[in-house]
Amino acid sequence: MVNSVIAGLTSGGGYALLGLCVVLTYRLVAVVNFAMTAVGAMGAFIMVSLTDKGWNVWAALVVGALSAALLSGLLGAALVRWFAGHRERTKAAVTVALFVALSAIGLRLFGGNSTGAHRFPNPFGDPVFTVGSVVVPQSVLVSLAFALLITLAVGLLLTRTRIGLKLQALSERPSTAEVVGIPAPRLAVGVWAGVGAITMLVIVLVAPRLGGDFGALSGLISTALAVAMVGAFRSLPLTLAGGLILGCLEGMSSSVDSIQKYQGVVPFLVILVLLWWRSRREVWDTAHSR
Amino acid sequence: MKRTYVSAAAVAALTLSLTTACNDSGGGDGPIKVGAINGITGLFQTPEVPKAVKAVFEEVNAAGGIGGRKLELISKDDAMDPSRSGQAARELIQSNKVVALAGSSSAVDCGLNRATYTKNKVVSIPAVGVDPACFTSPNIAPVNPGPYALTTAMLYYASETLKRDKVCIDYTVLPGSGGGIEGAIKKWTEITGKTLAHKNLAVGQGDPTRYLVADKNAGCQAVLYNATVGPWFAQARTQGMQKTDFILAANSYTDANAKTIPPDMTAYAGTEWQPYTDPTLPGNDRWAKLVEKNGIQKTAFSQGAVMSADIFVQVLKTIKGDITRESVTKAFKEMKPINYPMVGTPYVFGPGDAHNPIQGSRFVKADKGGWKVLPGGFTVPGKS
Repeated sequence: MVNSVIAGLTSGGGYALLGLCVVLTYRLVAVVNFAMTAVGAMGAFIMVSLTDKGWNVWAALVVGALSAALLSGLLGAALVRWFAGHRERTKAAVTVALFVALSAIGLRLFGGNSTGAHRFPNPFGDPVFTVGSVVVPQSVLVSLAFALLITLAVGLLLTRTRIGLKLQALSERPSTAEVVGIPAPRLAVGVWAGVGAITMLVIVLVAPRLGGDFGALSGLISTALAVAMVGAFRSLPLTLAGGLILGCLEGMSSSVDSIQKYQGVVPFLVILVLLWWRSRREVWDTAHSR
Repeated sequence: MKRTYVSAAAVAALTLSLTTACNDSGGGDGPIKVGAINGITGLFQTPEVPKAVKAVFEEVNAAGGIGGRKLELISKDDAMDPSRSGQAARELIQSNKVVALAGSSSAVDCGLNRATYTKNKVVSIPAVGVDPACFTSPNIAPVNPGPYALTTAMLYYASETLKRDKVCIDYTVLPGSGGGIEGAIKKWTEITGKTLAHKNLAVGQGDPTRYLVADKNAGCQAVLYNATVGPWFAQARTQGMQKTDFILAANSYTDANAKTIPPDMTAYAGTEWQPYTDPTLPGNDRWAKLVEKNGIQKTAFSQGAVMSADIFVQVLKTIKGDITRESVTKAFKEMKPINYPMVGTPYVFGPGDAHNPIQGSRFVKADKGGWKVLPGGFTVPGKS
């Protein structure tokens, strides 16, 4: 049991990173982006296609990240151009449609789960230390460090810098932001491109653990959304904690025979309870503030 | 009221005449119509299967057909869509009046259409039996071992050939087919008297580390596995499981998967037909020549296609008299076993309510980014 929980915890860093990407997009451009992992997976697969052709890994990584940035930027430009005045749910629906389209294109270009499986570079696969019978590789520490870095850096960017202030204005009141002279469309597209590149890097980092084919990687959006929910799409530290919690729960549920069959459901049930608990507090707060 | 009676009578008469028409299913002098339901688009794609079946039929037709009648394959794409699959079966049986189905390869056909085949007394010889219902239905008998027979063979290979004491299983099992895998494990226990050291039939998506750690704690020396290959081996390597034998199911036997296995890990795969990567193996020579000549992709599924078409033609040739749906069904239910070199046991349809004639598996080993065929032929549990 303890071993399984530790094993689960080692995957928490990867889950946290995925969740952070969702929260990041939502906080910066106010869109729940369902196409996020599909865009990242496109970039990741462009990268491995290039390394297959004999490219240098770093050059391929840069090209992959740039293509994800470009794709994400285009998606952002389309949303800014045609759906700026629409509600959040309409924008989310657009990204769902894009997710379906990108998944189909990716499957066609890069193959399904048996024909399109790829071995992703795993530079951080070497063991660092052992807890119980679980070997903890460098990648776990790298994921956690990357997740912490995003949490801290974005937190500071939003609260302590001028561009952060502009970004907050953009996400909360885009039209007002434009009126006061913030170049909203350009800034938004820039954010989209940046998030696209970060997502691609995250996907490449988690691929050796979470899936080697296009479908599995683009399907990570469900995990990412579940983790983001723990942070209520707002709090970066809670999202980071959410990733670790999801990992632990997965480990725990796979070690108990009686719930093993339902292990896919257990984390989501717990998240549901967490959400209910949070909303309960909000209702309580609202009742008291009146 | 009178009018209603009249129209009811007209409908009844029409139904009667249609039923009579349906009864004359495929007989006469025209081509012998054979149906197949194949996944061409959708998630489970096997476009090479109908092409390979057609290639066999063309060969037979060029040599004069069967009793002077040509074979005609009518293949329908179900796109792994249940409603399309059901409609395809009804169309083939009712409109196209096929004498039988041969060379089907769909992930949903057997489960959805088994009752239709039984009701219409039509037999199906799938090239690839994918879902469990393909092996538990009265009128379906595929030419591959399928997941259950393959699992028994893989367990047998682990305990008897590789002589591993602690055998474990980590499987992703489709809802509703868990009982079949339990049955396959029980069969292995009956033959060898051995039991599993660790079992998990609910391997899900996500990080595989937790399953690997459980295997390590149970001291597994051989692990049977049937899910996503890449992350599994990357993490098994991280967990230091270089000395464990991993035995993969046939779905993992692809070139892409071989490349994802790190060189210091040991991976075997159980194949359903003679490994397709070596065209010199018994039975593969004919298949390789045929698919090469017709420009068809060389896959394990195209082997199943050639085999199902060959078996179908052989059984048809034994029919004396008119070839109709009735005579074809009768011929399959009464056929003598056919030895086909591409598989481990003889193929026979026979009477009975469930058919899984092909047993055993031949094993390959991951080596330098490809699959190496191991000597020793087929492993048939209890026989070798």
